[in-house]
Amino acid sequence: MPVSSPPPAPRPTPTDAFPTSTSQTQAETESILLQHIPSNADAKQGLAKQSHMQFLVRSLVQGFPSRYTSQDASQPWLLFWTIQAFSALQVGLDPGNKQRIVDKIMAAQHPDGGFGGGPGQAAHLLPTYASICTLAIVGRPGPGGGWDQINRKKMYDFFMSLKQPDGSFLVAHHAEVDVRGIYCLLVTATLLDLLTPELVSGTASFVASCQTYEGGFSSASQPYYAATPSPSPSPPPSSTSDSTTSAKHARRLLEKPRPPLGEAHGGYTFCALAAWVLLLPFRETEGEQDAQPKIDVGNLLRWLVMMQGTEIELGGFKGRTNKLVDGCYSWWCGGAFALLEALGVGGAGSSAPPAGPSSGEEEEWDDMDGKMVFYRVRFAPDTQAARLIDTLFNRKALQEYILYAGQHPAGGLRDKPPKNADAYHTLYCLSGLSAAQHRISVATSRREQLRKAWVAGASQDTKISESTLPEEVRMKVFQEALAWTEEEGGSLIVGGTENRVSLIMFFAFTRRMQNATHPVFNLTITHSEGLMSYFYGQNLPPRAK
Amino acid sequence: MPSLVSASSTSLQEEPALYAERPEWNDVTPLSQYEDAAPIAPIFYSAEYKDATDYFRGIVKTGEKSERVLQLTESIIRLNPAHYSAWQYRYETLLALDSPVDVELKLMDELAVSFLKTYQVWHHRRLLLMLTRKPAPELKFIAASLKVDAKNYHTWSYRQWLLAFFNDDDLWAGELDFVDAMLTQDVRNNSAWHHRFFVVFQSGLREGETDRARIIRRELTFVKQNISLVANNPSAWNYLRGILDTKDLPYSRVEEFVRPYALTTHDSTTDLVDLENPPPPPGAQLPCPAAIEFLADIHEKEGGKDRILLASELWRSLADEHDMIRKKYWEYRIREALKRVK
Repeated sequence: MPVSSPPPAPRPTPTDAFPTSTSQTQAETESILLQHIPSNADAKQGLAKQSHMQFLVRSLVQGFPSRYTSQDASQPWLLFWTIQAFSALQVGLDPGNKQRIVDKIMAAQHPDGGFGGGPGQAAHLLPTYASICTLAIVGRPGPGGGWDQINRKKMYDFFMSLKQPDGSFLVAHHAEVDVRGIYCLLVTATLLDLLTPELVSGTASFVASCQTYEGGFSSASQPYYAATPSPSPSPPPSSTSDSTTSAKHARRLLEKPRPPLGEAHGGYTFCALAAWVLLLPFRETEGEQDAQPKIDVGNLLRWLVMMQGTEIELGGFKGRTNKLVDGCYSWWCGGAFALLEALGVGGAGSSAPPAGPSSGEEEEWDDMDGKMVFYRVRFAPDTQAARLIDTLFNRKALQEYILYAGQHPAGGLRDKPPKNADAYHTLYCLSGLSAAQHRISVATSRREQLRKAWVAGASQDTKISESTLPEEVRMKVFQEALAWTEEEGGSLIVGGTENRVSLIMFFAFTRRMQNATHPVFNLTITHSEGLMSYFYGQNLPPRAK
Repeated sequence: MPSLVSASSTSLQEEPALYAERPEWNDVTPLSQYEDAAPIAPIFYSAEYKDATDYFRGIVKTGEKSERVLQLTESIIRLNPAHYSAWQYRYETLLALDSPVDVELKLMDELAVSFLKTYQVWHHRRLLLMLTRKPAPELKFIAASLKVDAKNYHTWSYRQWLLAFFNDDDLWAGELDFVDAMLTQDVRNNSAWHHRFFVVFQSGLREGETDRARIIRRELTFVKQNISLVANNPSAWNYLRGILDTKDLPYSRVEEFVRPYALTTHDSTTDLVDLENPPPPPGAQLPCPAAIEFLADIHEKEGGKDRILLASELWRSLADEHDMIRKKYWEYRIREALKRVK
């Protein structure tokens, strides 16, 4: 192979000879990141799986240093970040440690439903998600296994007690409304078969109202109400009391104004979009098409691609316009592209290079100076393989950011150099890496298999509400959640196969483990299947080879 | 990560004894967190934190709401402002005691500055404001705290909530001046741009704002002038798009303005100053990818085969030269646009 000269140094973000504090911090970050671009083939950096694993094991076994006191109200999160990162690294846990984790999670269940940040803490939607997802990984049915000790009825009542007249939810009693909470609630309710029409009524339109003019989503929106029946020109200020029942009947939510509070943001955008996807099964059954809430998918796509930093930022993602790249947005932004595919945007087949004005060159995925080896080295532009490899974001660059800037030399992953690693960034960098390496989409064939195998009426015994889901919708929820499938031939691994996370594993040629990250839940597909098939009382048909 | 150091106002003389050592807390049974002596993945708490939270669990169990609960929750909050249960219980206690809200607000003034990045300080403030219903002094407080952290998400959304919730003309009156001041400090502050959009377009009509055509002209002039100050400012370009999108105006309305920003060199052939279309400043690094993208969008929206081909050429130049990181996206735009003219 001929040795070519190294590529020219990437262009700094233009400052137009007008520095401000934003451009100054940006320039400082760029100069640090520049030092992390490998200068030659020898400097190429693999994914240090072993040292990341040791970083995680250390916290799990020895514990977290005292600066983690700030996470005392997020203990289920610490466990979730740690063991879901294990899943990405294909590390399993022994039964003894699994049991200890189950026990710790169950100690955070609140007597009145939901989970808190730790024992004796109030129930809150965020640790509830983290607890249920952790139980999906380490729990099991039966005594002490966690799954049968989840109080679903009380959890449902807790959820309903947080519901606001505008379709949103408080994250906890007396607490704030935001779309992270809505995401956490909908994931939990989907996994545990807790969805009902009354639970989700108005929620999709709340989510839609959080989309800002930039295309991404904000934390929440502010409702305005009119006294029924006639709308008043200047709406009275709303009282955001926790008790919704009386308010619900007294006031009418105005369609406008309903302003987003806060600018478009990567974390909120992921949560809003994932919530939107989870609510899709409810759409067709709800009245007229025109009356349904809408989001601007094109503007959302544009905002998401604009969040990817340029070459000098190593292709990492930022969370807001004119802010800095941060490894965690590898998942919040990078992971959102698979969700867009569920909305029909950028799926395999739509991303083949255009036939229009030609670039006059063929794609080459092997890097010029040979420092990178790709899983699939090159392809002709029009093939099916090309369509599988292409994504609307730069999946190669994102992997480079994570590998070169995201890894802390002492183990664990991070926001950006020179910061320390932590459990949160370790997971979301690895999940982002998985999203960039693999192609996951809703497979029509799998959906069909699930439909055929569906057993109507099977479920957990407890009746959770008078409001029940039509069986058709319940089946759809199940199907759509579990039809996500990794596309074979859709992988692109920067640095060679040893950097692969979230491997598909085969067992004795009969059962296929889908270890790829579920784009909505951030669990492996296998763990999602295990928990959902249990709570929906379904047997999963084997995946076709 | 919030700073724990700056929060401490205790001096050596009043070194707080552990709650376990205070006689007035004798009647409370502290509850340790786990029955299991060695739970997996423990956090190594300080003795002070462990003590306070043990007593907090004890209090929660008995349901006591008293003055000393305010002291205890404050201790916890100072050590860990993200302890939402302590905040929640504190709020319930304030209500139960009918405690003076202005005293609490004063404490919050101090804590907000120390713990700017936690959700709870800002939300607690909201709860208090719903009780006092005196929003006016808050604007100044928020402005001061934005001096410390000009892009703080919670601070900005708190300001927006305050304006929308109380929805009082006097409150809104100074907002555009406020945004101007923030953007003068840093024209790249996207939070300030978002705030402007919120104030002008998303909060209903107020006195003096009813002439929408005039407002749109004013906003277009505002954003153009700012682009003419710093050409490569995605916040400003997004704002320009936002105005046109929200009012359903054709992008072509600003074509003449955008064009020079998409050129490779400054056009110095004219000395005329066109106030409608302020030119790129001498220091601007051209071409500006945002302008190329904008021009392409103008062509695409105008439609027709010729225009689509022009748009495609611009997208191609982004894909191959000016914005290569997004190559696949620009190619996607070409493909989608061409589909529609087939």
